Amino acid sequence: MDKTLTYIIAIVAIIALVVSSYGFVAFQGQVADLENSTTDLEASISDIQDTLTDIQDQIGQYQSNITELEEELSGFKEITLVDDLGNVVVLTEPPERIVSLAPSNTEILFAVGAGDKVVGVTDVCDYPYDFSAWIEAGNMSSIGNYWQPAVEPIIALDPDLVFASTASEEAAATLRNLGYKVLIVEPRTINGVLEAILLVGRATGNHVEAGELVSELRQRMDAVVNTASQADSIPKVYHEVWGPDIQSAGPGTFIDELITLAGGENIFHDAVTSFPIVSSETVIEKNPDVIIFPNMYMGLLPWGTYDDIASRPGWNSITAIKNHNFYIIDASIISRSGPRLVDALEELAVMIHPELFG
Amino acid sequence: MITDAGESHLRRVSHWKLYFLLLTVVLVLVFVFSLNIGFSHIPFENILKILAKNIPFLGDIVKTPGTEEFLRQESIIMQIRMPRVLGGALVGVALAAAGVAYQGIFRNPMADPYTIGAMGGASFGAAVAIVLGVGVALLGVNTVPIYAFIGALGAVFLVYVISREGTRVPVTTLILSGLTVTIFFNALVTYLKLLAGNKLHALTFWIMGGFTYTDWTEVSTIFPLIIIGVAIVYLYARDLNILVLGEEQAQHLGVELEKVKKILLACGALMTAAAVSISGLIGFVGLIIPHLTRIIVGPDHRILLPTSAIVGASFMMICDSLARVIIAPSELPVGVITAVSGGPFFIYLLRRKRGGYTVR
Repeated sequence: MDKTLTYIIAIVAIIALVVSSYGFVAFQGQVADLENSTTDLEASISDIQDTLTDIQDQIGQYQSNITELEEELSGFKEITLVDDLGNVVVLTEPPERIVSLAPSNTEILFAVGAGDKVVGVTDVCDYPYDFSAWIEAGNMSSIGNYWQPAVEPIIALDPDLVFASTASEEAAATLRNLGYKVLIVEPRTINGVLEAILLVGRATGNHVEAGELVSELRQRMDAVVNTASQADSIPKVYHEVWGPDIQSAGPGTFIDELITLAGGENIFHDAVTSFPIVSSETVIEKNPDVIIFPNMYMGLLPWGTYDDIASRPGWNSITAIKNHNFYIIDASIISRSGPRLVDALEELAVMIHPELFG
Repeated sequence: MITDAGESHLRRVSHWKLYFLLLTVVLVLVFVFSLNIGFSHIPFENILKILAKNIPFLGDIVKTPGTEEFLRQESIIMQIRMPRVLGGALVGVALAAAGVAYQGIFRNPMADPYTIGAMGGASFGAAVAIVLGVGVALLGVNTVPIYAFIGALGAVFLVYVISREGTRVPVTTLILSGLTVTIFFNALVTYLKLLAGNKLHALTFWIMGGFTYTDWTEVSTIFPLIIIGVAIVYLYARDLNILVLGEEQAQHLGVELEKVKKILLACGALMTAAAVSISGLIGFVGLIIPHLTRIIVGPDHRILLPTSAIVGASFMMICDSLARVIIAPSELPVGVITAVSGGPFFIYLLRRKRGGYTVR
């Protein structure tokens, strides 16, 4: 009986032990689980905190960007431009619709990378693209004449900035009276052209490109001038700009300046007017070493070929004709106040000093 | 005895009121349609609205859209087209009236501001003002018309003195001396071009003739000059009527010949100068218009002068409208159009041997 009771107690005790140990183990597991999940939670909290920091960083970035942009915009508000005739233009926002009233302005605008904002050009703008094709395709508008253009076609384009020249001074005055912003770009010297490029760059917000372009052009000019300075002689150069009532280029022209920079001497450097009408006799008397003709009207020379020039009365005695030093240069690169004047300088250098540049 | 020709002549004159009214209506229509012509297409309805809006008092009643598009159209109409259309009309009035006066004084169908040298003289005067830069502003007054007036006056009296033979001014001598004086002044203008320097563009374009950049300042400068000129010629319209009968008759009828002639020559010069100072050289208008008008309303200067003024204004506005559209978006100088339409007419007059034309 006692034995039986003892067995029962023992069995119960064993069962109780087993159950309690099982319970203990289960409890332990649960605690471990809990601990695990706590760690997980902590990890995700730190994750979230990291993300938050990232976001805050980004917000800070954006804010500084916004401040920068605002600074840029407010900086733009302060852009005051003075053109070659002393007109002052204040730009309150970057121009988006630009009209160019001169082929030289068009060349500069495209060269500084503002070409995509040009909505109107003249009939004679032909570089860097054949705009007549663009105009036909409807991607660009023509405002007509370069010389004394009408005002209405310009207004119709609703421009926020117009680049004019002295050939469109009256139109510029009318546009200004109507409240349009107009800059007259009319440089008279190569350095003036470089300044004009910087002005156009500043006006269009492309000052970085303009600066790079100007320093590149300066380097190329310096290279020509430095090499030309090593020459033993200064050849006399005759540049005819029109014929057969022959007209040459005198002081104050790009032609005169470029010939001098390329190491030559323009035989009409001391003429009274910029584009003097000269006599055949004077040319023979001055006896140039190099003769240069412009190429215009799609390659047609109104004065004929080399043989026609050489057979002008008395010209066979000119040194340049005897030595066949007769060259043709693209009229638009040597007469337009654009970046291609430096191309003209390089071409002239080869013509005047083939021994150095050839 | 009244001949058939005389009868039809009288009937024509008796109808002049009708013609005058008709031509006035034409003038108004041409004015409105001229405003409608240009590079930008502006609906006719908007033009009427813009016109109404800019009439004092009425403007407050008319309702107009305040859109940006409408405001741009308004600035095109009011700041670009209106001054040029009015400037054209005024120049037409001036040249036609000067033509009437000159044809009357010289009793000569070939006299007009161009052929008798007034325009050449005026253009030289104006060119001097432009090149010297004095034309811009002297005490706030535009001096180009003053210089042009001095030039025109000098040229007209020069031609008058050269071509007069006794009391008559024969056609050939008048044309030849007018031509000579014009060539002389043109040579001086060419010389000025050499001295013009950076004003060469402006000078060359101005000489070619046109209203492309005519603004309100120019219109308001020449307006009083031309009105005064026309008014004075009108005051002497009766004397002109008597003058064309012949100087002897005129003297018998109590006209102070020399005084009247000088006043009218000066008036013609004034109007020519005012016209030239804003438009440059515009030929043939002063020649054609009085002729055409004389065919319509007869030779009485009291009727001929105002009618010529109206026809001249309409003609000039039409020529300027053509100048705007023929090679759009570029513009032709309006002088080209008047010369192209006037040249053949001039030759027709020269070739015409008979057919009843007189200044009477």
